[in-house]
Amino acid sequence: MVTPDVANEKDIPLDIILSDRDIPGEPPFRAYIEAKVYDREGHIIQYHRQPMKSLTEYFLALLTIPLIGTYQNGSTNQPPPIFTNITGIPTQLSSSLAVEIYWIASIQVGSGTQSFSPTLNGLAAPILNGTGAGELQYGTVSVTYTATTIFFSITVTNSSGSTINVTEIGLFGKIAWVNYSSTYTFLLSYDTFSPAISIPNGALATFQITITFSG
Amino acid sequence: MYVSTLSEDVYPSDREQPTFKAYLTVIVRDANGNIVKVHKQWSHSPTSNFMALLMPGNWYINTQQSQSIVTTSNSSYALNPTTGSTGNQIFYPNTHAIYPTYLLMIQVGRGSQSNPFNAYNLAAPIANGSGTGQLIYGTPSVSSSPIVSGSSVYFYISQTFNNLSGGTITITELGIVLSLSIWEASNNTNYIGLNVLTWYDTLSSPISVPNGGSVTIYYTFAVNP
Repeated sequence: MVTPDVANEKDIPLDIILSDRDIPGEPPFRAYIEAKVYDREGHIIQYHRQPMKSLTEYFLALLTIPLIGTYQNGSTNQPPPIFTNITGIPTQLSSSLAVEIYWIASIQVGSGTQSFSPTLNGLAAPILNGTGAGELQYGTVSVTYTATTIFFSITVTNSSGSTINVTEIGLFGKIAWVNYSSTYTFLLSYDTFSPAISIPNGALATFQITITFSG
Repeated sequence: MYVSTLSEDVYPSDREQPTFKAYLTVIVRDANGNIVKVHKQWSHSPTSNFMALLMPGNWYINTQQSQSIVTTSNSSYALNPTTGSTGNQIFYPNTHAIYPTYLLMIQVGRGSQSNPFNAYNLAAPIANGSGTGQLIYGTPSVSSSPIVSGSSVYFYISQTFNNLSGGTITITELGIVLSLSIWEASNNTNYIGLNVLTWYDTLSSPISVPNGGSVTIYYTFAVNP
């Protein structure tokens, strides 16, 4: 969009400058959640795919690392305030060695629902890892990518003795460091399933979260 | 294989909006400070450097592979965080030393390239200065706190460029450049001050900055807009 001959800069407050209103075309970003349920013989008995809607502000904080780095500038030993103001992570870590940053992704499913908030940091009713009543056995999170798409997936097995209904899912990120032992875990996205993903006893389900940036 | 229940893709109309958006706002002022043009467009293009820096440690651990960080001068460095003493990674502020990775600039140029994912530099960067064909680069700025509006949260990066070149300067491309410090375990070295392009866009129409005028560029990144 090009708007010529705007008379005075005071006519354009910052919130209008930063509005995406009237930008033509479709924004390129896409994110999806897929669920596949397999019976004990390996047959698919339920398939569900839906757009992801609810990224939290912690996802935004994670994006600041490749966009603005981990320091304010070349001489200030502090991270950008936008990062610490969102995450609450200390501005300087005490260590006798240099501290390197990374993050680990995980997926958790739950049996509750809740209203979304960008500061949400957990599921309403997380399903625990295990074989007890109401529990699912969580596999290892797999992360793959193709160019500008990242796939996060996990397989859960139901050995609880009865059917388990999954109604919510969250992608989590644990920020960690080399040479510093504390970690901080944040909910990066939260979505609900309606109808529920139903996993019979003895069955397993694969949940995949796909995040695509346009190339 | 049989399928006893196979629902169609579910795309309720109220969930069609992407949950993440990135867009550009470009404001051009004349020599008197009056705004003469406002340009907005979607921002499209993370580079391979962005994806390497964003990838979670799970991928590096599971694959035992590295990703390449390519500098604006086309030198490559391996990135593979989380593998302990053999890892190559960027730093976070600490009490031991400063090895900073920080926002160096929004860089502008007068070229274009068709495969932004593989871009490691602008096609034709406009140099910083007041000579012919140059723009004076201001200091980049980042909103210090997230800006919240309902469920929507965003932050922005902005930078102003002044044109004292004596003629009109036309911008057709731009990108975000970090100054990156990386630990390379294989040769036990910290590399500091590597210029790395992490985001790249071509403008949907050229932006002309008159002599004596300026242009301010805003990159906005939003969730749940």
